[in-house]
Formats: sequence, structure tokens, C-alpha cells
Amino acid sequence: MDYALRARLAKRFYRFLSYTLLIGVAIIIIMPLAAMATTSIKQMSEYNVWPINILPRVPQWSNYAAVFEMAPYLKVALRTAALGIIVTIIVTASSSLIGFAFARYPVKGSKPLFFIVVGLMIIPYIVVLIPQFVMYSRLHLTNTYWPWIFGAVAGNSFYIFLFRQFFLSFPRELEDAAEVDGAGPFRIFWQIFLPNAKPVIAAVMIFAFSYIWGDYMTPLILLNDDKTLLSVKIATSYSNPQGVWLITIALAANLIYMLPLVIVFFLAQKHILKGVVTSGLKG
Amino acid sequence: MSSPTVSHKPWQSGDHEKNTAVSTKVEGRGLTRGQRRTVTFYLFISPWLLGFIFLTTIPMLLGFLTSFTNYEGLSIANLRFVGLTNYVRAFTADPEVGFSLGRTLLWGLFNLPTWLILSFAMALILNQNVRGQGFFRTLYYLPSVVPVVAAITAWKVILDKNAGWLNGIIDLFIPGTAIGWLSDYAMPGMTMIAVWTGLGTAMVIFLAGLQNIPDELVEAARIDGANSFQIFRYITLPLMTPVIFLQLVMGLIGVFQQLNLPLVLTQVGISTGAVPPRQIYLYMIHVYRQIFISSRWGYGIALLWLLFIGVFVLTLIVFWTEKYWVYSDRPEEGR
Repeated sequence: MDYALRARLAKRFYRFLSYTLLIGVAIIIIMPLAAMATTSIKQMSEYNVWPINILPRVPQWSNYAAVFEMAPYLKVALRTAALGIIVTIIVTASSSLIGFAFARYPVKGSKPLFFIVVGLMIIPYIVVLIPQFVMYSRLHLTNTYWPWIFGAVAGNSFYIFLFRQFFLSFPRELEDAAEVDGAGPFRIFWQIFLPNAKPVIAAVMIFAFSYIWGDYMTPLILLNDDKTLLSVKIATSYSNPQGVWLITIALAANLIYMLPLVIVFFLAQKHILKGVVTSGLKG
Repeated sequence: MSSPTVSHKPWQSGDHEKNTAVSTKVEGRGLTRGQRRTVTFYLFISPWLLGFIFLTTIPMLLGFLTSFTNYEGLSIANLRFVGLTNYVRAFTADPEVGFSLGRTLLWGLFNLPTWLILSFAMALILNQNVRGQGFFRTLYYLPSVVPVVAAITAWKVILDKNAGWLNGIIDLFIPGTAIGWLSDYAMPGMTMIAVWTGLGTAMVIFLAGLQNIPDELVEAARIDGANSFQIFRYITLPLMTPVIFLQLVMGLIGVFQQLNLPLVLTQVGISTGAVPPRQIYLYMIHVYRQIFISSRWGYGIALLWLLFIGVFVLTLIVFWTEKYWVYSDRPEEGR
């Protein structure tokens, strides 16, 4: 066989292998989501049928009504969304200001402090959360939302990092000109830097809201059932009076629960992926 | 984490300080420009600084003190200083510590290589000129935005012992299959969920890293007669080691603090007090149960500190290996 032919065959084979892997992984990615969707409209008795019916015999759309009847879904969702929005606004404001200071004010002490900011990212979250819980319980702040607010005001290492990286690339002249015009540091931040940071603001706001919306550990540890957030509520609801978990209805609840995040992801994919890349390449 | 060096850009570092030398006293508070800048900096970062002191340092110090007591989470009337008892107990009187640590190491062995290799492979493929690149990238990232509770509930349909889709597929080839992916084989089961959730993030980062590799380098090698494998082995892989290194470090830390997955896997649809299957009784699960189920706060926090020290030492070791296998464009000393 001549060299060119062999090279062409090898290339063909490689392409075949590539597409096989791509499609194989795509099927694995889709399967749980597909199973979730079809099972969410099955009758509970059909869930255990063997061999499995991929599609339900008779779609049970009433499962979706049951999501709201069996648990105070709407009330807890609104509560979670409200907390999520408040925390997102605060943490974005604080992290952008802190990131701005680290990027544009390389004064004495800023470097070691920034090292701590980054270093905190590698401390296991739970190592801090549990001692925090001890402190909050002594201060009688458990079962309140104050821990979320305090945490938001202090900013978040990852978001501070994203803002700092972004603000570093701004030309110095921008600042100087404003300073000559008599603008103070906060006005420079508010009127020049922040309006030009929309992609990072978008990414950080999405990360922050998604985190609150999806976080299971913090509400589990800090809140009782009467004040808990949607993640814990969904995980612990939807059993029948005999204590049997109705997975079909739970799946319907989870589909509604994850939908906002999926929609936001499709709308703002570019910003989100850029944020992910910044965190992973420039560390 | 190596701190990014930015000094080659004049406006980014060092430049402001030089200005202080020529700055003059400004009217008003009688501060130099440099002093004003220092005040501004500390004013702006004060929320973070306060948070660092009151939400991180003080709780951790209190936690450290708690680990030398018999604190039970309720009243402090019975609080007693017990010295090193909690730490000694961890090493001598509690076989569950060793067991759960073993499970955690096994978890890392299952999860880390599968996740790293698969996400790197998918990034390599997507970096080629394949059709539907954007579609696949979006699809692979999608699970990363699914909240953990939803992800695990969905996977329960796949991994269920009696009615799960995975056993259903295997059953087509080996009739009568009923593998307990959530009980006796929970370790591979949980690995599938973790890889499904984490694939996208790592892949997107790897893909961006691959796109940073200069085309000229690859072209030059090709002209010199290098084949695809040689290009991968001697150009792509070495240039990607810094990215792989960072993912490895973060992944390693994630392995040891893994609590979310086994906990949610156990609690969803069952009860918040349920015991995870032995297969996935990880170190953090043991800690969680000590504190929240058995009310052994002092002991649980001692275990947390041991974990923290362990992870810290491990991270240092990984950073020490950096110079042997991670490519760096900074000039090396002593050569």
C-alpha cells in the first residue's frame, strides 16, 4: 500500500472514531435528561414495569399539577428566587468593587491580600461552612437569611478574581483622564469601569444566582423546614402517606426547578463559558 | 496557584507606586497621592477584609478551639476542655475514619482519571475540524447547569436496581441483570453522575487551552515531517500541562471534600437522616454524621481539621511535582 493511501485510510479511521465518541458521549449526556422527561409523565405503577417502557402508555400530565399540590412549591420557589436576586445583586456589587481595587490599586499589601483571595478558593468550602454554622447558631442567626447576606457583602473569591482579571486589561489613560477631570475613585469605578464590564457582570450574576438556586448544603445546614429553599424542599417532598417516594412527580418538580437555569444558559452561553475559561486558564 | 505575572503591561503593576515618588502634597487632608490611593484601596476592599476576618478566620479559629472540647452543639454549660482526646480518638478509637478515608481515596481513583481523560479527549476531538462543534460543546456543558438535586433525581431513573434504564440496556445482552448501582455498586454509579456533571466545565477549559496553542508551532512540526501522534506527544500535551495541572489540583481538592453527591444521593426521596451505602461512605459523610446526627461537634470539627491539613499537604506535594512535568515558559533557574 502506498503511503498516501495509508494516510488517507488512517485519517478516515480517525474521523470515524471521533464521530463515534462524540455521538456516544452525546447519548450518555442526553439519556438521564430524556429519562427524566418521559418518566415525569408516567404513572407511578408504570415506573416499575419491566421491560421498561421508554415512553408512557398514557401521558400523565396531572403529575405536573401534583407538583404544586403536594408541596408549597410556588411559595418556596418565590422565596428562593427573592433571596437569589437580592444576594446576586449584593455579591456582584461588592465583588466588582473589590476586584476593581485589586486591579487598579497595586498599593502596598494588595499582592499578599490577593494571594489570600485566590488561596481561599482552594480551602474546602465545608471546612469553613461548619464552623460558620457553630458561630451563627451561637449568635441565633440560624434559620434566618442573614448568613447569605453577610456572605454576599464580603464578596466571593471567584467573582473577585473574574472582575480583577477583566479590569486589569483596561488602559491606564482612561483612569488618568477622569482623574484630571476631578472624578473620585468611586465615580471612576461606577461611571467608567462598571459600564464597560457588562460581559463579566452578566457571567457573575448568572453564576451567583445559579449557585443560590442549586445549593443544597447551605440551606440544609442553616435553615429549618419552614424557611428552607427549593433544593431541599424538592428533595424531601413528594412522598405518599405511606412514605413511598413518588419519583415520577419528583421528576416533574425537578424539571420545573432546573428549567430557569437551562433557559438562562442557552441565552447567555457565551458569557458563561468565557467566565468558566477565565477561571480555568489564568489561575 | 501560581500568581499571574502582569508586569510586562505598564499600566498593570508597579506603575502607580512610582507615581508616589513624584506626587506632591494635595490640598485638603494633606495626604500624598500614594497615601490617598492606599486609603481608597483598603476602603474598597473592606467588605472582603471584614468577611475574611469575621466569616472565615474567626469561625475557623473558634472551630479549632471547639475541636479540643466536648461541644455537643446545644448548651455550653457542659462544655469541657478535653485536650487532644478528639484527635487521638480519630487515630485510635474510630475505625470508621480509616474506612471512610479509604473509600474517599478509591473515589478519587475512580472519579479523577475518568473525568480528566474523558474531558480532555472530548476537547481534543472538538478542537479538530468536526461538524457540529458548537452543538456538541453546548450539549456537553448542559449538565453543569443542572442543580445537584435535579441531576441525582434524573440519574436515579437510570441507575435504579429494578427499573433502571442502565440495567434495562445491559439486560438486553445479559438477561436477568439487576446491578445495584445505588447500593452495592454505588461507587461506579456515583462516578457516572460526577463525570456527567463535571465533564463540560473541564472540557470547555481544555478546549480554550488547546485553542491557545499557536498554529505555527503545529504547522512547523508538520512540515518537519511529524505525524499526528508526534505532534500530540511533543507539542500539544506539553503545552497543555499547565491547564491539566490546575484541573488536577482543583479536582483533587474536590475529591476530599466530596459531600454533596453522596449526601444528596442518600437523602433525595428517602430522609435527611438516612445512612449512605457503605460503598460511598466517604470521609466527609462520616464528618457530617458525627456533627449533625451524633452531635459530636468537637470530634467532627477535629476530623475537619485533619482533612484540611491533609488536603493542604497533598496540595503542596502536587505543587512540588509541578517542576517535573508541567511546562513553563518562565526561564528556569540553575540550568
